[in-house]
Amino acid sequence: MSAEVSLLPVSSDPPHRRRSFGEPLARLVFTFAALLVLLSTLMVLGFLAQRGLIGLWAIGPAELLLGADWRPELGRFGGRPLLFGTAVSAALALLLGGAPAVLAAIYSVELAPAPARRAMERLMALAAAVPSVVYGWLALVHLVPAAAQVGGVLYGDGAPGGEGLAVSGVLLGLMIGPTVFLLSASAFAKVPKDLREASLALGASPLHGALYVVFPAAWRGVVGALLLGFARAAGETMAVQMVIGGARQLPLHLFTPTTTIATQLVADMQNARPGTLASDALYAMALVLLVFSALLVVFTRRLLLGGQK
Amino acid sequence: MKAAAHPLARGQRPGLGQERAWHIFLWANTFGLGALFVVAIASLLWKGGAKATFLTWYPTPLSGAPGEQGMRVLLGLCFYGVLGWGVFRLWPGRARLSAGRQRHLQLALIALVVMAALAFNDHLPRFLLLMPKEGSAGGGVGPMLWNTVTAAVVSGLVTLPIGVGAALYLRYYARPSPILSALRVALDTLASLPSIVYGLFGFLIFVVQLRAGYSILAGALVLGLLNLPLVVSVSEESLASVPRALEEASLALGATTAQTIFRVSLPVAWNGILSALVLSTGRVFAESAPLIMTAGTTVSRVQAYAWDPSRGGATLAVHLWYVNNVGLSPDRAEVSAATAAVLVMLIALTNTLAERLRRR
Repeated sequence: MSAEVSLLPVSSDPPHRRRSFGEPLARLVFTFAALLVLLSTLMVLGFLAQRGLIGLWAIGPAELLLGADWRPELGRFGGRPLLFGTAVSAALALLLGGAPAVLAAIYSVELAPAPARRAMERLMALAAAVPSVVYGWLALVHLVPAAAQVGGVLYGDGAPGGEGLAVSGVLLGLMIGPTVFLLSASAFAKVPKDLREASLALGASPLHGALYVVFPAAWRGVVGALLLGFARAAGETMAVQMVIGGARQLPLHLFTPTTTIATQLVADMQNARPGTLASDALYAMALVLLVFSALLVVFTRRLLLGGQK
Repeated sequence: MKAAAHPLARGQRPGLGQERAWHIFLWANTFGLGALFVVAIASLLWKGGAKATFLTWYPTPLSGAPGEQGMRVLLGLCFYGVLGWGVFRLWPGRARLSAGRQRHLQLALIALVVMAALAFNDHLPRFLLLMPKEGSAGGGVGPMLWNTVTAAVVSGLVTLPIGVGAALYLRYYARPSPILSALRVALDTLASLPSIVYGLFGFLIFVVQLRAGYSILAGALVLGLLNLPLVVSVSEESLASVPRALEEASLALGATTAQTIFRVSLPVAWNGILSALVLSTGRVFAESAPLIMTAGTTVSRVQAYAWDPSRGGATLAVHLWYVNNVGLSPDRAEVSAATAAVLVMLIALTNTLAERLRRR
């Protein structure tokens, strides 16, 4: 139908040439947004590192990481109680919440019927989004009295209020459970179908296939999920602050009130005068937490990317 | 004589008992985990929901804070709107109506909701209207709701343009370069930081360096920063799912990259981007530590319902923490339960909305 070819005069410029000022403008705006992201990250890291390094320099890394006495009002900045509380409560969380979540994920992905799996995933997505203060409040109301009774039976007068690492561990376990479940369920779901079918064809039961074929094939994803859960548990603040007791001491046992880095940050920061050593010490502890969680996440990324190649 | 069953016959394999035990263990573990969360969330809604949604027959008096009437109308629109939408969706007779009738019914319901919000805005749940009380029983969360909304709006206004802009840069303009890899590292770092670190940063910048005091603006900016990695990654994902053929068709017709982005890619990916915005709003509702460090824990009576975001103020999540750890009110158990119920309802709402937007 050559008769339909337009005979209207054609501009020597194609249409986009005439409006081309929009193109560099758009490129400029989007590049600016990306640079803004970069800049704000550098600002966060720069400001915190500046104050934190001042504190680290004045106190000394050995004292800050290993000293057993944290009393800023007396000029003592031994961070061991804080580090110990953070590490132990996060490890307990991994044990009490992370491990069951991984097992639940493999059961719902591999063995449970599809509607049950979908229901579980929706429930866990909701549970992962529930605010941390809500979990903290639930633990304060329900877990702390229970822990006071258990601690009373175990240690007599040594466990007065029930607050301490045990409750924090259970609480953090509940909080990271949904996240670990979702991440490891997606890791299991990504395992190629061929592997499962090969295992079934060799006569293995679905359970055998799940535990001996799918689980080893998805181990990077599972470890990644657990590490991210650990990082989240170590950085959790307000919920832990509600149940750990806030005593700046090394705990005798799991039912003694103690503290973590994040809770001590939020408790002391607003009272510490800016520019004093007390405030710089807190920034130094924040720097420790920041470096630790950044390293953990970078390591996890590496681990997951290694599996894709 | 009965033949002995083959050792590999169904129900006779060696190790079957062990396998059954594993099955039962895994089932109990999964069911227990799920049941725990179902019971926790349901008991929360059961305990707090009654107080949080308790409607009164007698009007709730105004507290005298300027702007309260406007806030009530807004709350009424949301509350009656959700009520009307629920009735409309759940009404079984709806399917029998023609599309035009359904449309008319919707319009009538919208008019009804607006009228109800204008007429009955002092009969809303008392808990959602009242001022918090420090030393006596019977406080509500009116200003906290308003602060939460302000923080969500301001942080959305910050995050959405920057996040989507950065995602567009990453998807359409970025060439492999040191800056690109630095940007990726920056996004990973931002996503990995614990929220208290953001709080400290905001405290250092706004409260210490700028001497601006506690303000919702500071809190919202910090939360906007915290939400950036989420918005960038979800937007990038939904931009990546735009069919390549559509974009190439647009380019083949002579459109520039920018024209393709604005006319083709963004409209197609818009639902995914909106779901990122909704998810980040949910995080504003949920976050407490950074807000305590930057927006403070109190509510000023005079500015309780002001538009100005440079006022300090507690959001719902912060209020829940404050009531339990600092506040002195004798009915803190009830107030906490109701606040937690409102929070969980809001989170469930944003989650469902984000899910729907992503599926569409």
